[in-house]
Amino acid sequence: MSAIDNQMNRRRFLKRTFPVGAMLLAPQIVAPSVLGKGGGVAPSERVVLGGIGIGGRGSYVLGCFLQEPDVRFVAIAEVKAQRRQAVKQMADTRYGNTDCATYRDLRELLARSDIDAVLIATGPNWHAAASMLAARAGKDVYCEKPCAKTIMDSLALADTFRRTGRVFQAGTQRRSLPNFAYAVDLARRGRLGKLKTVHAHPAGLETKMSGWLPAETEPPKEEVDWDLYLGPAAWRPFNRRLLDGFNFEKGGGMVGGGCLEWGSHCVDLCQWANDTDDTAPIEYERKGDRLHARYANGVELVVRNDGWLPLGSCPVRFEGETGWVETGDNGDLVASDDALLAGKGVRISGYPADFHVRNFLDCVKTRGQPRANADVACWSHITCNAANIALFLDRKVQYDPKKNEFINDEEANRLRGEAWREPWQA
Amino acid sequence: MKHYISRVGQLVSLALFTASAVALGPARAAMLDLDAPAAERQQKLIALIKSDAQPAEKALALKQLAICGTADAVPALAGFLGSEEFSTWARIALEVIPGPAPDEALRAALTTVQGRPLIGVISSIGVRRDPKSAYPLITKLRHPDAQVVSAAAIALGHIGGDSAARALEIALAETSGATRSAIAEGCILCAERWRAEGQAAKAMALYDTVRKADVPQQRVAEATRGAILARGSDGTALLLEQLRSPDKAVYSIALRAARELPGTQVTEALASAVKQLAPDRQWRVLLALADRRDDAVLPAVKAFAKDGPAELRVTALNVLEHVGDTSCIPLLIDAATVDDRAVTQAAKASLASLHTGNVDAELLRLLPQAAGKQRQVLVETASARRIESAIPAVLRYAADADAGLRKAAFEALATLGGPKEMGAVVDLLKSATPQDRDALEQALLAISGRSGAALAPTLMPLAGHSDPSLRAVGLHALAAVGGPEALAAVREAVDDQEPSVQDDAVRTLSTWPNNWPDDNGIAEPLLALAKSGRKPMHQVLGLRGYLQYLQGTKNLGNDEKLAKVREAMPLMKSPDQKQLAAAVLGAIPAPGAMEMLVGFAGDADTAEAACSALTALAVKDAPEFTKDQRRKALQTVLEKSKNDGTRKRAGEALKKIQ
Repeated sequence: MSAIDNQMNRRRFLKRTFPVGAMLLAPQIVAPSVLGKGGGVAPSERVVLGGIGIGGRGSYVLGCFLQEPDVRFVAIAEVKAQRRQAVKQMADTRYGNTDCATYRDLRELLARSDIDAVLIATGPNWHAAASMLAARAGKDVYCEKPCAKTIMDSLALADTFRRTGRVFQAGTQRRSLPNFAYAVDLARRGRLGKLKTVHAHPAGLETKMSGWLPAETEPPKEEVDWDLYLGPAAWRPFNRRLLDGFNFEKGGGMVGGGCLEWGSHCVDLCQWANDTDDTAPIEYERKGDRLHARYANGVELVVRNDGWLPLGSCPVRFEGETGWVETGDNGDLVASDDALLAGKGVRISGYPADFHVRNFLDCVKTRGQPRANADVACWSHITCNAANIALFLDRKVQYDPKKNEFINDEEANRLRGEAWREPWQA
Repeated sequence: MKHYISRVGQLVSLALFTASAVALGPARAAMLDLDAPAAERQQKLIALIKSDAQPAEKALALKQLAICGTADAVPALAGFLGSEEFSTWARIALEVIPGPAPDEALRAALTTVQGRPLIGVISSIGVRRDPKSAYPLITKLRHPDAQVVSAAAIALGHIGGDSAARALEIALAETSGATRSAIAEGCILCAERWRAEGQAAKAMALYDTVRKADVPQQRVAEATRGAILARGSDGTALLLEQLRSPDKAVYSIALRAARELPGTQVTEALASAVKQLAPDRQWRVLLALADRRDDAVLPAVKAFAKDGPAELRVTALNVLEHVGDTSCIPLLIDAATVDDRAVTQAAKASLASLHTGNVDAELLRLLPQAAGKQRQVLVETASARRIESAIPAVLRYAADADAGLRKAAFEALATLGGPKEMGAVVDLLKSATPQDRDALEQALLAISGRSGAALAPTLMPLAGHSDPSLRAVGLHALAAVGGPEALAAVREAVDDQEPSVQDDAVRTLSTWPNNWPDDNGIAEPLLALAKSGRKPMHQVLGLRGYLQYLQGTKNLGNDEKLAKVREAMPLMKSPDQKQLAAAVLGAIPAPGAMEMLVGFAGDADTAEAACSALTALAVKDAPEFTKDQRRKALQTVLEKSKNDGTRKRAGEALKKIQ
């Protein structure tokens, strides 16, 4: 069985066997006319896709896009020559031609009027800036996480996509997986009783600052365009050790990445479970080696690395007055009462992104909001960034989600944003 | 606090890379000491950035002034605004230091800084939204550098207000070329702010100017959205007009605006307009309508779900899953019984997931009183929603004359049934027609799998039934419940008078499911079958089952498993049996297993399976093996295997050992 067959079968299986939680995970409805006769795709329904900054993770997600029959990938913009060529080869192999165009500068790709949407997997330093550039250029965006490295960037991201009307999907693909949706469904439908506490795994809370390394001889721009690689980050001399896009300038201001790494997944799921996709906690405080936050509705968010059941990476746990549920990337669910798990449906492990990609593509066609749209991503990233600020200041901070400022706390408020390097402009 | 780095530690980590590059100057200690008074830190940081310290130190010191900097630090920070290397580091602090001093410094820099850093200065003014900078920025709209003009336009958009908006509007009228897009964007930003502040008329006028201007399609789309929203409910006409636009970008943003413009009147107008649109737009507008949140949505969707054109009806039925409530149940049941597959599927899917109101209670109320095809729909829905209270009604329908209804009931029993229903299902099976038997067997197996060994006695009458085919069903169900009693019954059936039942019993034993390691009793009958089964096939199945048992059981130690594999060796007559034995040995971390596998590797029929198993054993640094034993095993693999993957793994492992 081919990978595509396998994927399609899994999708059908998911649709057929996942009645509970369907409220949360139901696919975006697309009319049958979107698909032509014999499963072919009408040209008007084809999504022409470009890629911006595609490395390891990006190649996986791009693979998910390439499997979709209504996607045509036509161009890659990447500052590293080796990766540019690798992505071109991947696309050309898929289509059996040599048509995939390559660009060093993302602005050239974004200037193409034939491209409808872009996959952005540059590394966190560029995510917000590239997403906003793309939206302003009239492209829909699927962007890997973390999507914004400061509170201000989070707000600007949501504002830009609202104003431009473009579709945005954060690469938080657990929003499209049945075990997480089922657990969230239990919490939101009150089957755990009144929700009390939501727990998120951050994959460490350490700050990772990229700093300034000794200057090395800068390679030719065609090999690595250092200026474009730095993008909105403050200038520093070339050093090959900083070329790890995954970690370069992951967090903004003075507070570093902190809980953004998995928080953008797990805190996001907690926000979903608490029905607080449009706000953030109002209080944050470090307690021991954990971060505790409290929402206006009284629910507590606990960000912790330890004490999890062995359910794989990125676990979450939701506790109500009468029950609890915990799940993670191995696809299993554990609950206080087995009866809560009746009808949990198909188990999918390994956190695949194909369902999430499909949801994005469907929304490109309907102009509906994907599961991890810009507003959803904005608030989960604000929560993570505010948590990082509390950790950095090592004291309790209070946040006003309506004004988007820390209350009577100039010190914290100074950490909400970080200037972008010219010519990039938020 | 092992997971945390303290504030001081965080800055230490911030500086770690720097530390490798430069010798730390005397000011470094103060730079890192966050617990020192802010004024003291500020003075030391200012001194550092004014000194001839290394560039890395200066950069980080500039950034740290974002935390403790005041107006006192601004002149020193401003000194870096013209530097391509340090401008951003300085602006990080200047953007967040409160008070007028940073605004004044940035404003002054507009006249002194040139080139790329000037764009940064303009951006920071935009971030700070300094109204006094509006005029100097307006002058930059005529700057010869297009990037400066564009940056100024965006910054003016962020500052907003009458002067900025008027200047941008004039620039839009007078300017041509690459900057028009940014100027239009500046206008839109001004209009967005006015709209947010309730100055709808001013916003509307500016949006209209942009959407009618010769600017890129995306700007027109943004202005169109704003123009619709700024008009409030009066924007409905413009919205409907744009939904008919031939311009894809404008039509697309109208679909977004259709979700945003509030009011029941808007919803009603959209509902009225849907059928007048091109077919490929109708369902998309209906989806947009369904995403709205007002009282007019549900009646509109229900109307399309009842008798809309085909594709629209299907979309509406799908949408009811999200926006519907109990009032939609009769409509959905009716739709689920029509002769259009797309319609019935959509209706059934929505019935399965409808969640607003007490849906299950309403379905239970309707279940006993339904008639015709509706009964089948309700049974299927009860099954899909896992409504256990529906079981009594489902059992009644399982004996109905309608074959379709019976089938739905059997499938519902498979989903919902528990130990209490097992007897009833057994009774149904005994009197079932041949056509019903498969579905009922599936129901019985599903229930058995959920019931456990205690229910074995309930199945005995079936396992002893006079009809051989029913006896076979009984054996399968016994395997599903498991336990010693069930095992004994299946083992007894190996000697059944009917050959087909004997075969079924052997097959059932050989795949005894698979409560291992709990069902240890399976080993002895499987070995007996392997040794003296009635037919050759029984012996083959017995041996295969026995080897699989050895592979899976956790009740035997490594030496015991090894002994049993050795004991079974004489029974292995075919290569595939030996290959299976090799797989078993590959899971036994014992030197004896390795030795046996080395032997297997010398036989062409079993060489690859043995090499694969040997590699699996030898790559792990298990305490049971010496390095010599592992080395010898891996060398054997390199010598005997023809599989590149296996050889590669073995070669890599061998290198690590050596």
